[in-house]
Amino acid sequence: MAIQLQQVSYTYADRSMWKQTALHGINLNIAQGSLTGIAGATGSGKSTLLQLFNGILKPTEGTVQVFDITITAGEKSPKLLPLRRRVGLVFQFPEQQMFEDTVEKDLCFGPLNFGVSPEEAKERARKAMTDMGLDLALLERNPFRLSGGQMRKAAIASVLAMDPDIVVLDEPTATLDPVSRAELIALLERLCREQGRTIIIVTHRMDELLPYADSWALLKDGGLAFQGSGQELAADPAILERCGLTVPQSLRYWQAVAQRFGLAGEKPLLTAEALAERIAALLEERKNAAGMEEKGNGHE
Amino acid sequence: MNQSYKDTEAGEEPAVITLAGVSFGYDPEHPILHDINVSIPQGQWVSIVGPNGCGKSTLVKLLNALLPKSAGEITVCGHTLQEETIGDIRQCIGMVFQNPDNQFIGQTVEEDILFGLEGLCLPYEEMKQRLDLYTVKLGIDHLLSKHPGELSGGQKQRVALASILAMKPGIVILDEASSMLDEGSRDELMGILRDMQAEGAYTILLITHDPDEILASDRVLALHGGSIAADVPPAQLFRNEDLLEKCHLREPYPWRLARELQNRGITVDVPASEKELIDTLWPYNFSK
Repeated sequence: MAIQLQQVSYTYADRSMWKQTALHGINLNIAQGSLTGIAGATGSGKSTLLQLFNGILKPTEGTVQVFDITITAGEKSPKLLPLRRRVGLVFQFPEQQMFEDTVEKDLCFGPLNFGVSPEEAKERARKAMTDMGLDLALLERNPFRLSGGQMRKAAIASVLAMDPDIVVLDEPTATLDPVSRAELIALLERLCREQGRTIIIVTHRMDELLPYADSWALLKDGGLAFQGSGQELAADPAILERCGLTVPQSLRYWQAVAQRFGLAGEKPLLTAEALAERIAALLEERKNAAGMEEKGNGHE
Repeated sequence: MNQSYKDTEAGEEPAVITLAGVSFGYDPEHPILHDINVSIPQGQWVSIVGPNGCGKSTLVKLLNALLPKSAGEITVCGHTLQEETIGDIRQCIGMVFQNPDNQFIGQTVEEDILFGLEGLCLPYEEMKQRLDLYTVKLGIDHLLSKHPGELSGGQKQRVALASILAMKPGIVILDEASSMLDEGSRDELMGILRDMQAEGAYTILLITHDPDEILASDRVLALHGGSIAADVPPAQLFRNEDLLEKCHLREPYPWRLARELQNRGITVDVPASEKELIDTLWPYNFSK
């Protein structure tokens, strides 16, 4: 397991009269090398949960274990530097974390802070740019002269440059155009499948991640309402409604077709292309069957 | 494709926003927007679409002089944009930005929403009434005493929306203001905008990539390479594959599914629901 949470609760301003419990009693396992989606209504605790993964927040109750590093509520926490090195966090609007005057300096800042040599930092910056599908010529550019989509990708590259084993992203596709969004999801999937990194994505656009995610965690009012595969979700989309989420259209259409043609239990087809292909095949089957019948009738 | 789109109903309304030969650029050699000509009638709901970096946000920021145009003429609510009219123009435009953190000023949600209303010199009763109305509409009435910093991304976005909508500006401009809302909340926001539009007093400009939001609007302005690549009703945009690709857009899922089915020789209209699709497909078998 890359990340294990046991009975974790988190309360903001715990010792003041404004205290507010954001998470309670969370038991969550995230497998190494998996692609996990986290969803939940606004204010359900998604961003708080992410910040527990690299020790920005420490649990008020329970235990957070990331690889061999354990943070237990009420105990003195271990050194967090190794944790931060292994878990890269990409916040909402990551472009706001850029500050240097060239993209290269921005990308090298993290690695240099973790004691990497300047040469290696530059090398990592180049690799991260390539991983994100960005042109190396942009390294010399001022980050604030990039387009919105490029800036977002460069900001994610600056986290990748730290070579984290786990990459956690909070709404990485918000404000990107649909094509850039699909590209980004594809890039993240590649990082997961080809480089074996553990990718965790918070999203409210479940439909764009559904075809790719290995597992899902759904939050409701600070509690974990569901953990399981996309297939399990597809079998019982009512779980989503119970979490205050809308069932994505791709899932609704799949479910309707699956019910009509008795395909429940199959791996859900969650892209329009795959579903159309399947419907075409189904219609063809029926047509052939009907044709046979007609022929049969003709002989009578 | 460059023909101007005329809405027969709204076309009779006077223009509330007019841009004539408007350009903008930091460097005259490389304009970001070039020779934009567009007229938006009172009461229309317009989606502004296009790939990241095509100048959508720039275009709306020119309207209230958050950015200075480099050429052309802009008229908003009867005022021609110049030094002396900036104040008047800003009074009739309410803008919600991409990142809600950029527009908070109050120490609490309540204070933040009231700040804008105080600026309008409204009587206290009226302020209170609007505060209640819009915080309930946006589902943030339980957050009034919170500091904006304590809110989640989606909650912040709702507060930003409430504070602008409560001011009832004649022109509402939302720059991807629903990017952090889940689908259900986005539908609610669309409902609020639809109600506002029905009142007739509001002109709505929405910068968006969301197919369902685009579908809800009357008209789509597609920007590409610094000029207006298309000015069409939403259905026309979603039927034009080249234009979708050019603007980095996707059609709504049912449209996409219908197209994929048509590509496979199955003739179906865009289904209104999954049930309708099944009902269409089923008789399809037996009509053969």
